[in-house]
Amino acid sequence: MAYPYVHEREVRMISRNFGDPAARTLDGYRERGGYRGLERAFEIGPAAVIDEVKASGLRGRGGAGFPTGLKWSFMPKAGVKPHYLLCNADESEPGTFKDRELIRWDPHQLIEGCLIAAYAMGSRHAYIYLRGEFFEASQVMARAVEEAYERGFAGRRILGSENDIEVTVHVGAGAYICGEETGLMNSLEGRRGEPRVKPPFPAAVGVYSMPTTINNVETLAAVPHIVEHGGEWYRQWGTDKSPGTKLFCVSGHVEKPGNYELPLGFPMMELIEDVCGGVAEGRSLKSVIPGGSSVPLMDVEDCRECTLCYEGVEAAGSMLGCASVIVMDDRTNIVREVRRMVQFYAHESCGQCTPCREGTPWMTQVLRRIEAGRGTESDLDTLLDMSAQMTGTTICVLSDSAAAPVVSSIEKFRDEYLALIHGGERVEVA
Amino acid sequence: MSAPARVPFHNPGWAGNTGEFDLTEADVRGTDFVGERPLDGGHESAAPSYPYMLPDKDPDAVLFEGPYKERFEKIRTRYPTARGALIPTLNLAQELRGHVSPETMDEVAALLGLASAEVRGTVTFYTMYNKRPVGRFLIQVCTNISCSLCKGEEVLDAFLRHTGTELGETSRDGDFTVIEVECLAACGFPVAVQINSRYYENVLPDDVPALLQRLREHGE
Ligand SMILES: Cc1cc2nc3c(=O)[nH]c(=O)nc-3n(C[C@H](O)[C@H](O)[C@H](O)COP(=O)(O)O)c2cc1C
Ligand code: SF4
Ligand code: FES
Repeated sequence: MAYPYVHEREVRMISRNFGDPAARTLDGYRERGGYRGLERAFEIGPAAVIDEVKASGLRGRGGAGFPTGLKWSFMPKAGVKPHYLLCNADESEPGTFKDRELIRWDPHQLIEGCLIAAYAMGSRHAYIYLRGEFFEASQVMARAVEEAYERGFAGRRILGSENDIEVTVHVGAGAYICGEETGLMNSLEGRRGEPRVKPPFPAAVGVYSMPTTINNVETLAAVPHIVEHGGEWYRQWGTDKSPGTKLFCVSGHVEKPGNYELPLGFPMMELIEDVCGGVAEGRSLKSVIPGGSSVPLMDVEDCRECTLCYEGVEAAGSMLGCASVIVMDDRTNIVREVRRMVQFYAHESCGQCTPCREGTPWMTQVLRRIEAGRGTESDLDTLLDMSAQMTGTTICVLSDSAAAPVVSSIEKFRDEYLALIHGGERVEVA
Repeated sequence: MSAPARVPFHNPGWAGNTGEFDLTEADVRGTDFVGERPLDGGHESAAPSYPYMLPDKDPDAVLFEGPYKERFEKIRTRYPTARGALIPTLNLAQELRGHVSPETMDEVAALLGLASAEVRGTVTFYTMYNKRPVGRFLIQVCTNISCSLCKGEEVLDAFLRHTGTELGETSRDGDFTVIEVECLAACGFPVAVQINSRYYENVLPDDVPALLQRLREHGE
């Protein structure tokens, strides 16, 4: 199958059905081994499911990399209060395009993951929160949920057991900040998607004020495989601190952009050179953003020894985030691209915290000025100063995310800024 | 070295390369889609709604009657509070009317028993609600980082040039409104463009005239 590109070094677990439309139906999914994880979960019981997930070392794929089993164990014991499981399918981090593919190619895998997670945490209702733009993906998802209900895989007495789990597909209306976990909860309650101050944490007071756990689509997609084969089995891939496989979303200036499922710890240069066919048009590499627009930029020097796992990218001075690898060639105008990212954060700031609300548009203006050749060297100090004030001072980390590309680009590509400031024009323009 | 490989510009299914997934908009919007199995206490089915608009909009459509009423009632059962149903209800209203006017906000508030001010606060927070009427085709071009690296702004310019509009303005024939959007989560297939509900991927500036022609003739 040629989904759009596949590579022999991939380990296709959660992406094994990409490019295979027949896997979208319940029967097609069953034929490919689907719903065995759910059956095993019901056999071994909720506590053992959490133990398997803990043993696997699975870390959240939504960006922060928090251990999933541990997160699940924070949920209080099932009692009178309803518990909720939320699946975060708001995917809007620039550079990230994996969740949409997981949903539209393999909706039942996600339903199975939600059912197992909900069962493990004593939750009887799972909401799958999709971003509003995902019309097609939500259609696929809704059809699959309908089918699961019809065939006894969702709703009352699942698979003839005593377990009832509702699954609801919820579609948002456009706002990046709804991907932040507590922003998503407010949005699901019909409010503005403004993040909440923590504590209280969602496991104590979440959506509708009830205990809630929220997981990314990719995290939940890995769960059926872990529960079916066991936590130890999952550890055969990846590193000690970052076990398993991960979808790498490669975009920008490479010959073959796309989603590639690889074991964590894969060398960055091999991903670009070998798997993705190298930098497009035979150009050379200038910079890589390894984890979506919220993480620091890397230069070629950083990339050389970098392995793509949580600890590997951190050692190289950035963060793995959602493993959204954005590749920039030697013609790229770094200042312009950084400005475009900061402009995004200015647009998406929810406005609750002053450093974020005021800082992001202000930084955009300063960057625009430099881009237009009207900047001064002291602008760089201003930008760094603003970045410092915007880091660690706000309710959520959107503000920190906006500062990350600014600080790292000034650190690594100061000469590009200076060229614009002094020359009014870059040395080489695309 | 060869030019960057890209999937040729064609949309065989929804959102680009989805192979045999051949549902039409009419198929997915039919009444059977919302399911037929009301159960005690709630409706056990998927009953989502989408904040996009039909090419033919009716700003005076009733909220809600017929199949829309059925969908509204099913949505209402999927949330523990009336307020929880607000966003799906607004989505449904926009799908029908094409935009969410202040009057629509008030009507939705009355339907759900919420204060108008609360509903307005929510509507204005979300970018997909059109606060005023838009063209038959709302063309949304991503110019965020990955698309920007691959000619995002040039594609945006091409759309503006070929529709003869300014950003956010509707063309004189009422067909096109072009806006710039943030990342559409299709970054590996740049430039990503969403037109009404549908994604068009791998769009380059030269593809724009044919794409506009196709919209005029086929309606999608
Ligand atoms: C501004 C902001 C935006 C976020 N957007 C997303 C998103 O689109 N999708 C996602 O899964 N997580 C997103 N997150 C991370 C979530 O808050 C949360 O950590 C995650 O959904 C937890 O799931 P995981 O443990 O499975 O990773 C975002 C966080 C922040 C601060
Ligand atoms: S940091 Fe920004 S986005 Fe996050 S809560 Fe504060 S204002 Fe809102
Ligand atoms: S940057 Fe354009 S779709 Fe993500």
